Amino acid sequence: MSEHITVLSALNRLLKQPEATAGAMAKGVPVSTAVFLAGALGCFAIYGLAAGFFQGDLQIVIASLKAPVIVFGTALLCLPSFYVFTSLAGSELSPARTIGMLAGFCAVLGLLMTGMLPVAWLFSVSTRSILFVFWMHLIMWFAALVFARNYLRVAFPSLPERRVLRLWILMFVLVSFQMTTHLRPVLWRDPDQGVFSAGKMSFFEHFRAMNAAAFRDPKAMAQGRAAD
Amino acid sequence: MNLSAAELFDGPSRHHVIEDLCRGQRLGRHALVFVLVIAGFGGLYGAVLGLWRSPLLGFYVAVKFPLLLITTALLTSVFNWMAASALGLALRYTQVAVMMLFALAIAAVVLGSVAPIAWFMTMSAPPPASSARTVHNILYLLHTGMVGSAGIAGTLFLSKVLNVVADRRRSLKIYAVWILSFALTGGEVAWLLRPFVGSVYHPVVFIRADSYQRNVYEFVGSDILPHLLSSITEDPCQNTSPCSQP
Repeated sequence: MSEHITVLSALNRLLKQPEATAGAMAKGVPVSTAVFLAGALGCFAIYGLAAGFFQGDLQIVIASLKAPVIVFGTALLCLPSFYVFTSLAGSELSPARTIGMLAGFCAVLGLLMTGMLPVAWLFSVSTRSILFVFWMHLIMWFAALVFARNYLRVAFPSLPERRVLRLWILMFVLVSFQMTTHLRPVLWRDPDQGVFSAGKMSFFEHFRAMNAAAFRDPKAMAQGRAAD
Repeated sequence: MNLSAAELFDGPSRHHVIEDLCRGQRLGRHALVFVLVIAGFGGLYGAVLGLWRSPLLGFYVAVKFPLLLITTALLTSVFNWMAASALGLALRYTQVAVMMLFALAIAAVVLGSVAPIAWFMTMSAPPPASSARTVHNILYLLHTGMVGSAGIAGTLFLSKVLNVVADRRRSLKIYAVWILSFALTGGEVAWLLRPFVGSVYHPVVFIRADSYQRNVYEFVGSDILPHLLSSITEDPCQNTSPCSQP
């Protein structure tokens, strides 16, 4: 119980005082990376749960499991470039502290997504069009990233080359898209479809195909909801 | 002798390296570190680069990619040393050669750091087949973009070195000439050492038998540009003939 409160208080501090938290981490004050990771895990699981309400039933559980995997998988793949890019740009943080900063970034992202959770849930349970919820989640993801970028700015206040952070976030976004495509379907699964789709696909191809299908036959795309 | 790639990551250590390069001190030691860094990080990226076509090509490119970077550094060093001298910057040849290795070691580190992302993107792409020409082209462009961006990042550190040893106007001129020689030479060395991504129309080999025929700029001028222009002007549905592959 006390650990649960610690996670909440750490996330609360991260949200309200990002400069103080990031500054403390940069100075070597031990802030548990695990606390931030646990917080991010919880936030994204809850967000995935809300997103899963679009289809309902088992997809609620599947989406709540997939959402944290998408974010953590992306963060893991982008971790080496995060360390190298910030180091080459002038950061003097150790690898361990850089991991802590990245965990903080994930936690901030998770908190922001959780803040939008009621809206996501409301539209998920009431919308029939997968195209609408797709764009809604995409816009929310972008909004969270814009605000989370401020955390990185305060986390690296003396970084001479800020452009690398923008470049890294762009890579993070692209990898998150590909990770989502890799772990598809997240929002909607046909009755005869497995938890994961077979076949390799780029995110560009996936997004384009989904949008094209939804425009071509919006009723078919919302068939599952209509039948409910 | 403590050799560590960390001196490229760590700001103060990197500053000492730049000071040494400017003064021409401990050049042999730095050259050794840079070559090892290029072999390690460049090899890692190379393995990912060739992995889409086959694991064998991944192994080949893991060997060829560091070779590409080191060969480019050595081939450009002579001209770059002369160009710097002609523009009024008197550096020793070994200084310039190690500076070239320094820039490409930074580029290799950047590429090594994005190797997990490149691996994930490669593994998510449809497998190589005769119908996968578009995937090949996308991967080709993706890797070209990554290598080009990493090369620019590496040369930005060269400009830092030049800013120490020359006034701003002169350092800018030398930097522009060095970048141009890197791009021209690197492109041609890569052409000679192809395949890297691996065309779906050719078997996997270490170096193609026809690698010394034509050059990359001739190929771009005689194949790529005419094909692109014809694609723009013609109806895409009518254009079904395959063009030559790099």
